[in-house]
Amino acid sequence: QDLRSRPLPMSQRRALWQEQQKKVPVVSKGESWRRKNAKLLREGKEALKEILYFFSPWRKALQLIGGESWTRSAGQSSFLPFRHALIAGFVLVPSIVFRGSEGTGFPNLTGNTRAQDPVLLECMNYNPNPQGLVPFYTYILDVLLGTGFVELSYLFYGFYENTVVEDRNFYNIPLAYLLTAAFYFAFCLICIVVRSVWLGYAARVAVATGGQTGGEYSMIAFAGWDYGSLGDKETKLKQKNILYRLQVDLEEERLKNQAAALTLKQKVFLYSLRVLLLFLALGLIAAALFGIFQATQFSQKMSGREGIVGLLIQYLPSIVITAGNFVVPLLCDQIALLERYSPSVTIILALMRAVVLRLVGLGVLLFTLWTQVTCGGNPEEDDCRLCQYNYKLYQCWETRVGQEMYKLTVFDLLIAVATLVLVEFPRSRMVVDHSSNALVQKLGRQEFVIPSNVLVLVYGQTVVWTGALFCPLLPLINTVKFIILFYCKKITLFHNCRPALRTFRSTTSTFFFLVVLLFGWGLATTVMVYSVTAIHPSMSCGPFRFFDNMWLIVPATLYSLSDTSRDFLFFIGSQAFSIPLFILLCVVLCYFIALASVYGKTVRLLRTQLKLEGRDKQFLVKQIDALSKHLQIPTHRE
Amino acid sequence: MGNKQSIFTAQQLDAYQDCTYFTRKEILRLFYRYRDLAPQLVPLDYTRPDVKLPYELIGSMPELKDNPFRQRIAEVFSEDGQGNMTLDDFLDMFSVLSEMAPRDLKAYYAFKIYADFNNDDFICKSDLEKTLNKLTRNELTEDEVRMVCEKVIDEADLDNDGRLSLEDFQHMIVRAPEFLSTFHIRI
Repeated sequence: QDLRSRPLPMSQRRALWQEQQKKVPVVSKGESWRRKNAKLLREGKEALKEILYFFSPWRKALQLIGGESWTRSAGQSSFLPFRHALIAGFVLVPSIVFRGSEGTGFPNLTGNTRAQDPVLLECMNYNPNPQGLVPFYTYILDVLLGTGFVELSYLFYGFYENTVVEDRNFYNIPLAYLLTAAFYFAFCLICIVVRSVWLGYAARVAVATGGQTGGEYSMIAFAGWDYGSLGDKETKLKQKNILYRLQVDLEEERLKNQAAALTLKQKVFLYSLRVLLLFLALGLIAAALFGIFQATQFSQKMSGREGIVGLLIQYLPSIVITAGNFVVPLLCDQIALLERYSPSVTIILALMRAVVLRLVGLGVLLFTLWTQVTCGGNPEEDDCRLCQYNYKLYQCWETRVGQEMYKLTVFDLLIAVATLVLVEFPRSRMVVDHSSNALVQKLGRQEFVIPSNVLVLVYGQTVVWTGALFCPLLPLINTVKFIILFYCKKITLFHNCRPALRTFRSTTSTFFFLVVLLFGWGLATTVMVYSVTAIHPSMSCGPFRFFDNMWLIVPATLYSLSDTSRDFLFFIGSQAFSIPLFILLCVVLCYFIALASVYGKTVRLLRTQLKLEGRDKQFLVKQIDALSKHLQIPTHRE
Repeated sequence: MGNKQSIFTAQQLDAYQDCTYFTRKEILRLFYRYRDLAPQLVPLDYTRPDVKLPYELIGSMPELKDNPFRQRIAEVFSEDGQGNMTLDDFLDMFSVLSEMAPRDLKAYYAFKIYADFNNDDFICKSDLEKTLNKLTRNELTEDEVRMVCEKVIDEADLDNDGRLSLEDFQHMIVRAPEFLSTFHIRI
């Protein structure tokens, strides 16, 4: 039945179909049963497709928007419901259910004696509820800051009990908490890897058959026009886009030739200029990071203030981070004008700088928090000696870290909505449409630049991962934020922005963003592993109250398991198992690398052979021509 | 759904289902779209299969109206080569341009669309120049057009005859993962 994949005119196809139908009468029972089944299956599939199409509201919107990188990153959020089910199922629901019940506190290793120690009782002092009468706006502030009634909710780490229910069903909440966090991270990693492998498949074809650089122009010429674009404006835009891409490619070619033709003196000058500007850019980034450091320290020290000033001080790190992420790339863009790299290198450099700024900025924030919580890692300092963490400033430090991440997320959302309302709408509606000022017209409508928008998404996801251990419902809040942002951006896209003229090649860019996402994930995992194993949990709150660090619950549980499972788990963790596994994985990796290089070589060989065949053919045809003229034999060639 | 329509016989509908990538519903919907272009020419049942709609009507469909290649598309898929399409041609065109058509089939027809401005079964330099001008609305300078044409032929011409044959084209399309999504009209 592959009639339809044959490139014949329709009338011929139908004639062939008629003939096929005529030949059919004598058919075995099995054959006709199978054919009927195939037909039913096909109709079933059609019906199912229609139903599913109905249920995918995002798909239509995403297709409308059209940009590939945006849809890929937004498509990540299709995994979100599953992740939330994971968290909700394992941690949230049991906590709610078992909260009232008579769970016994986990038989702690250091014994209940610790709880009786009067000195340590001071460490367990924790009461985030405001005392006495509070002004009404405190509730709003609480939602914005994650304090007060929000703090004592399932949102933050501090609210979970360290109960282990033993009477009817055995459920170990602390262990569940830890393992859920670990599985969440592992699941995210698997999602990223699967997606990048799937992407790599598309890129693999290009790599095996001669690399990305072989075929840019022909790709643009023959696969560049989107036949599905509707409307006059969109067509004009696409044509401008293609024009721009071709001009950029030609320009790069010209620059390459120019660069190759520079004299030695000019080259030295250019390279030294570039090094200087690189240091300047690094200096700008370092200044921004220092600003973040100071802001975080200041904000944590002054965390007692009330009212609007208190709100501003609490949000100071977020404000500084956002301001830095806005100002520094602008300045770096100006620097890039002087550097005179080719356009594609400029774009990549700008993105790298933005990425470094964001991730390292987040890292600096976390580092500052760490120095304050653990007194710079020195447990002998005054503030930390008693409880091994700074209990004066932080009765419940995990909640505080969770609050910082929560504030970052909320602030991100607020700034995005505020920019939309206060900057983009006025800019397009009132200013551009009604003003005839030349400068204003030049600024024009906001360009929707896909790379920076995707970077914002990636950064938000990293913040969520870092905070997931301390603020279990943060992924849920992030989902809500994504949904709001999505619809906001959709509105702004269609009403206010004009599309960016400069495009970024979609497969490489998506791969790049996945790599950045992977880095973010690495940062979050480092933070999680460190806080689980090295920092003393708060004694006044949370499921890990009486442990020296959160990891200790795993060995404690393991000892209570039966002998065989314990031996099995110890064996898997031991060197006798992991080293051979590692060696095996290396061997498999080497095999695949070798296979890939062999295929690449084969393809290149076949291409040269094809070229030679063509030349042979031409040569023979010329010979035939010459001979036939010589012998005056009329040829049968057209 | 099934047999409540009276436009096609069951056998005709089966034939169309097997010869295109469309489902029953989509074929009927396409018939109505075809008929809407000229209700007075196309009868409500499929009694006169040789009705041809002139190119002007086809080219005024919203899906094709702004496509710079619409004339070539109509010429390639029409039986008479002038762009006047019967229902068969119409269904064929949208079937090849639909999501489910395989890459080789699309590459074949894409080649014909880009190639035969001068009817020689090859994409030669003048064909490429016309294509480029349509793609960029004539805004590239002549020098730039010439340079791009040279580069394209350099990259894709495997048998070195200065023009692209169907094999060259198909080989090049294999390396373009976005071809399947761009050579696609949703209807």
